[in-house]
Amino acid sequence: MSENLHDNCACNEYNELATRREFLQKSGGAVGAVAFAAAFPEWLPQVSVSDFYIANRDVVVSIFLRGGADGLSLCVPFGDPEYYTGRPTLAIPRPDSSDPNKAIALDNMFGLPPNLGGLYPAYQAGNLAVVHGSGLTFNTRSHFDAQRFMEVGKSNDPTVQTGWLGRHLATSTPARADASLRAIGFSDGLVDTLKGGPKTLPIPNPASYGLLGSTTTRTARMNWLQTDYSATIEPAKTAALDAIATINLLATLNLNAYVPANGAVYPNTGLGRGLRNTAGLIKADIGIEAAHLDVGGWDTHTQQAGGMATRMNELGPALAAFWQDCVASGLQQNITVVVISEFGRNVRENGGAGTDHGRGTAIFALGRGIAGGRVITHNWTSLARENLQDQQDLKVSIDYRDILAEIVQNRLGNGNLAAIFPGFVPTFRGITKDAVSGRIAAK
Amino acid sequence: MSNLKVDGESESTNPVEPDSVESSTSRRRFFAASASVAAATLVGSREAKAQGSGATETRRDMVRSILRKTTRPETGPAKSAQVSAAAYDSALSKLVRRITNGVTADEMTLARKLGFNGYLEYQLNASKIDDTAVQSYVATTYPYALMDSAQLYALDLGQVASQFQQATLYRAAFSKRQLYERMAEFFSDHFNIEYATVEYMKVPDERDVARKFALGKFPDMVRASAHSPAMLEYLDNTRNSRNNINENYARELMELHTVGVDGGYTQTDVRELSRCLTGWTIASRGVAFTFVPNSHDWNQKVVMGQVIPAQPTTSGQLGMRDGDMMIDYLVAHPNTARFISKKMIKWLLRYDPTDEQLSAVASVYSSSQGDIPSMIRAILTPANLLAAPAKYRRPYTFVLACLRATNPQMLRLQNVTGTQLRTLGQSLFAWGPPDGYPDTADYWSGGALPRWNFASYLSTNTADVPVDINRFLAVNTPNGCVDAINAAMFGGEMPDTLRSQLVTYAQGGTFNATRAREVLALAMSSSTFQWM
Repeated sequence: MSENLHDNCACNEYNELATRREFLQKSGGAVGAVAFAAAFPEWLPQVSVSDFYIANRDVVVSIFLRGGADGLSLCVPFGDPEYYTGRPTLAIPRPDSSDPNKAIALDNMFGLPPNLGGLYPAYQAGNLAVVHGSGLTFNTRSHFDAQRFMEVGKSNDPTVQTGWLGRHLATSTPARADASLRAIGFSDGLVDTLKGGPKTLPIPNPASYGLLGSTTTRTARMNWLQTDYSATIEPAKTAALDAIATINLLATLNLNAYVPANGAVYPNTGLGRGLRNTAGLIKADIGIEAAHLDVGGWDTHTQQAGGMATRMNELGPALAAFWQDCVASGLQQNITVVVISEFGRNVRENGGAGTDHGRGTAIFALGRGIAGGRVITHNWTSLARENLQDQQDLKVSIDYRDILAEIVQNRLGNGNLAAIFPGFVPTFRGITKDAVSGRIAAK
Repeated sequence: MSNLKVDGESESTNPVEPDSVESSTSRRRFFAASASVAAATLVGSREAKAQGSGATETRRDMVRSILRKTTRPETGPAKSAQVSAAAYDSALSKLVRRITNGVTADEMTLARKLGFNGYLEYQLNASKIDDTAVQSYVATTYPYALMDSAQLYALDLGQVASQFQQATLYRAAFSKRQLYERMAEFFSDHFNIEYATVEYMKVPDERDVARKFALGKFPDMVRASAHSPAMLEYLDNTRNSRNNINENYARELMELHTVGVDGGYTQTDVRELSRCLTGWTIASRGVAFTFVPNSHDWNQKVVMGQVIPAQPTTSGQLGMRDGDMMIDYLVAHPNTARFISKKMIKWLLRYDPTDEQLSAVASVYSSSQGDIPSMIRAILTPANLLAAPAKYRRPYTFVLACLRATNPQMLRLQNVTGTQLRTLGQSLFAWGPPDGYPDTADYWSGGALPRWNFASYLSTNTADVPVDINRFLAVNTPNGCVDAINAAMFGGEMPDTLRSQLVTYAQGGTFNATRAREVLALAMSSSTFQWM
């Protein structure tokens, strides 16, 4: 298990190995990097021993389901008849049903919908946990407020402008001192979650991150910019030089040629491509510590069955492929994936075969360091009207920060929780398997 | 510093014309300050010359004739550089960079003609600047941007948003009222409302709040905002009633709009102010502000020590008085003076205002009842400008500066307000929280590559906003091209290092229009161009 890995942290080895990054630097900037890529057209991590595995903290992959994902579909409370009362057309049938669309039982109460069935092996292997009745304790049903509050890690406080993951990066030393890119957001602009993170860039597609224009003159123009920005003032200087380093670095990776391990096949969807590139970046040994991906389209006010199926067909197979490629494959580097959404949806479906904005939903956490194979709840009650918030919604009985904070402290080795989740004292819910913070501190 | 050589010509001359409007007080301040500013000796002497004696009548005539000019920036060949790079750090040039969305050859020529104070006064008196060309273009091209909620709600909301964004960007780029546009952007952020939350209601809000009072009185703007349907909806005052208090708007009215987070109020004050504002809501579809007496809390309130007396529940529209009284109190509060002064200094001058600057501007706020032009005069003194470090352009300002310098055809501006600004991270009216897009270098400096790629896009696109590269090739040599870029982007004051780097690149391959486009893109991508 992962603790052995950490115990074996051989920091001398870490320093002595000629890493890919160092090789690139020694080979002389942009021009050398291009030559290097030409000389090694194969996917490099398959032919070289990487040293990044020695880093004793998990890489974190944060996935946000935008629009308010229906937790009662993501993790079906089939053991509660009230669920079937509230969802006459939308409910996913019990596992013992003969309906082909039936749920897959996780325990006596909860099950996965068939669209997420690809995750069942991860659950069986103890790598997947679901935290039900979780979310934002601040009572808002506004997408915009709820997303922002969750991402910045504090509700209704305009003075908090950076994201929880950005602040984690800002309050921890880089896993690799020479990393030019510590975190990547798969989007055009930087999402709130990552704001404030050093060496953190929005990169919609790392396989094509680079300077537009003629390929013939690209190197000359890059060199021109490098010279020009070397003489400007901070913070523009460092930011631009990091961007140039990242462009040069990504240009050498040939991510499009990345071959997933363990027979994993990523679906050709936004999330599938993003997670495939995430896997490539992690294995490429460049010091990536965090990745953030969004999946939109969860705001299922009408005709939810089709919309949810489409969205879950994007989520399930992509996550399953990532698990197969990066977790079940025995990859030494530990990875923790956490999937959240701004809120859940009403227990009772509406007249349009959809559901309106609700409160509690389900968080998914995946990784070898996750105490998985369980659905974690707190004071779970039946979905009878009198138990619901405002008589309509699954209550938020577990603050999403309880889960994130435990992951930050125990899996990312960062104890600065007061800075990362200001004004909040988390209750750890046992989502993680073991702590690594002590070893980080000893390093 | 040596002056620029223009294509083998003799040393360029200084075309800065005399200016007589400069008051003796501010001139004294200027001289006093320029002596103490390191590296400002040359600049100071140039400025002193620029602000010497001159014929008042002549200049007034000239201002009048300039005010009557209505065209967009010139579209002919960019004029070649006639001035020194040394002027780049002068108070006048810094002024132009701070109060416009980007230098153009015409704008610099105008500023030099009018002199420091003449140019500042010209821009401060925005309503006297004839801007009919831009206004009629906007009215014709983006009619939705001029409509009211009662008309807009029934229209295609995607189109409303798109026209609204394009109209806003077009005016910011090409209006001759550049300082006005800068302040409208500032106050749009100050009273930020995310379009997606209130949709079409944002259109009249922008017009009736930030744009109406951008160069007026700040207290009037706060009052207008408090009556804006979009604001009341965005900050939930539409859900604030005596039986169900919603504190959101009341809190932000104090924290973000007036006295500031350290403005001396407590959570109890937030609650009490919320009670004052119960009943302030919107008519159906947000077409108008309305006060609903039945929702109002008529009991006594105490906000920041101010006693708002109880009223009979039959007082009808008089219930609005509670909120009006508190807004009057808040806008006159010394903490509001300091809060808005500090933010304005940061916007116009520097990220780190000195205590002296802050006190000076705050006292102008108090003595002028929040008169924004008076505050701007106190902020933008030559001495303050000479001492001010550069500010980092936000992505939107960068885009505007690029458009102003290159003056492209407007074929599909929606690709700029859409994909391009989104990629750059500053789509118009898309900032979610009520505090507006940040105005810090730290926040924005991570987006270097998208800027470089925007520069590349702008200089090579053919279907959206194509640039006529021939404007920069009147003298079809590397030096001639860089000089034309210098004139268009820097008013002829491009720093020497940048100039020689660009010439070197231009000479690094076969020089043709393709190479020239790359040189133009590099000039826009350059670190120098990101600062103002």
